Amino acid sequence: MSCRELERLFVSGAAEADSARHRATCDECERLGAELDRTVSLSAALRPPAWSPALRRALLDIPRSTVSCETADGLLATLVEGEIAPEDEARLRSHLSRCGACAEAAATLQSMRSLAAPEAPPWLAPRLAAARPDRKKRSFWRSAFSGRMVVAYAYAAALIVMLLGLNPTAVVRRAGFAGLGESTRNAVTVAESSIGDRLGALQEKAIRTLAVWRGRIGGYGRAAVSNAFALVWRPEPKKTPNRPRLGKDGGAAATPVDVDVAAGQREELSAPILRV
Amino acid sequence: MDRFGQRVYAIAYHFTLKREDADELSQEIFLKIFENLDRYDGGFPLVAWVLSVSRNLCIDRYRRRKRENSFRFVSDEAVTALLKSDDDPATLALTKERTRMLFSALAEVPEDLAEILILRDLNGLAYDEIGQALELPEGTVKSRLFRARAEVAKRIRARHESHSLGGPLASIAMAAAGLV
Repeated sequence: MSCRELERLFVSGAAEADSARHRATCDECERLGAELDRTVSLSAALRPPAWSPALRRALLDIPRSTVSCETADGLLATLVEGEIAPEDEARLRSHLSRCGACAEAAATLQSMRSLAAPEAPPWLAPRLAAARPDRKKRSFWRSAFSGRMVVAYAYAAALIVMLLGLNPTAVVRRAGFAGLGESTRNAVTVAESSIGDRLGALQEKAIRTLAVWRGRIGGYGRAAVSNAFALVWRPEPKKTPNRPRLGKDGGAAATPVDVDVAAGQREELSAPILRV
Repeated sequence: MDRFGQRVYAIAYHFTLKREDADELSQEIFLKIFENLDRYDGGFPLVAWVLSVSRNLCIDRYRRRKRENSFRFVSDEAVTALLKSDDDPATLALTKERTRMLFSALAEVPEDLAEILILRDLNGLAYDEIGQALELPEGTVKSRLFRARAEVAKRIRARHESHSLGGPLASIAMAAAGLV
């Protein structure tokens, strides 16, 4: 049965010195230990594998040769429109060849334009045509005497009569159809005089209003000047006899009657000024 | 009329994905067109003008269908209307699955992006037509379209990753798309 002490010491993480002591006493473990040492030294002597420059270039080229899914979404939009740059298209196609989801999105977007147009039902075309209103061209006389035009003529006639100051009922009653021309002339004369009277009245009213405002403005001006003089040349108030004041120090405060007297004096002073 | 009606119907269908709704919507669009026809001065391409006057109708329908969760589980019938009948069964099955996923992903992106993608990629409108219809500069149309596609691609990718469909289906997809 072989000695497994060296293995036990290695597994338990014992110190190198303990292993060396055991190897000095056990030939079998000494042989095993020597083999292990050789293996370790051989491994340590190996160099790490050097990657080839071609591999390095290929790895560095990955960002230039493909795109992420998020970028592919945007590139797909330009691909469908046919406005994608050739280098972007190469990157996109490289990505699509690996990414099933993006390939499906691309195929779906591209299929949109090749879908068939839905066929309208056969009964729809006549119905749509029936929705078209009848737009036959009317004759001149028909349109000249249409409902709207008749109303417009009536309004126009009424407007002309009003402007001329005619009273059609009175004209017809007084003159009858035979004297219509004379009555019309009379009516025009009356309307002219009436318009003249109205204009005269308006002028008189305007003149009166102007005079009133002139008077008011003059009055306000004089009152303002008088007030200004009164403020500058205020007469000395009459001295009133001293009264005992009783405030905080035991005197009497001004009574409401005193206040009223003072207000009365102020009114007396200002009254003649305001009356100017 | 037939060709134009067909075009309007296709737009209506892409916004609703339902026959009945598309019928109603296209009639509403036509009524709107005829009501406003005297305002069309020919300065716009006709389809852009039609879209500009009927945009709210389309968006309202689209929102309603989204509220009903109709795009989340797209029916077979809805997708079949968009398939070409001359494709072989395998391609048909794959396209059906993709179309279903496309509309499902489309419903998850913001409306303004989905709208542009529908108009451009499903209805083939030009940038300037979309810009005139939506009253947007061409640059904005392009940037929104870019974002829309990127968002849809992201969502489709996420679905594949979450459903672990990266195996056989992806291989078939890649083979079919000629990407391998």
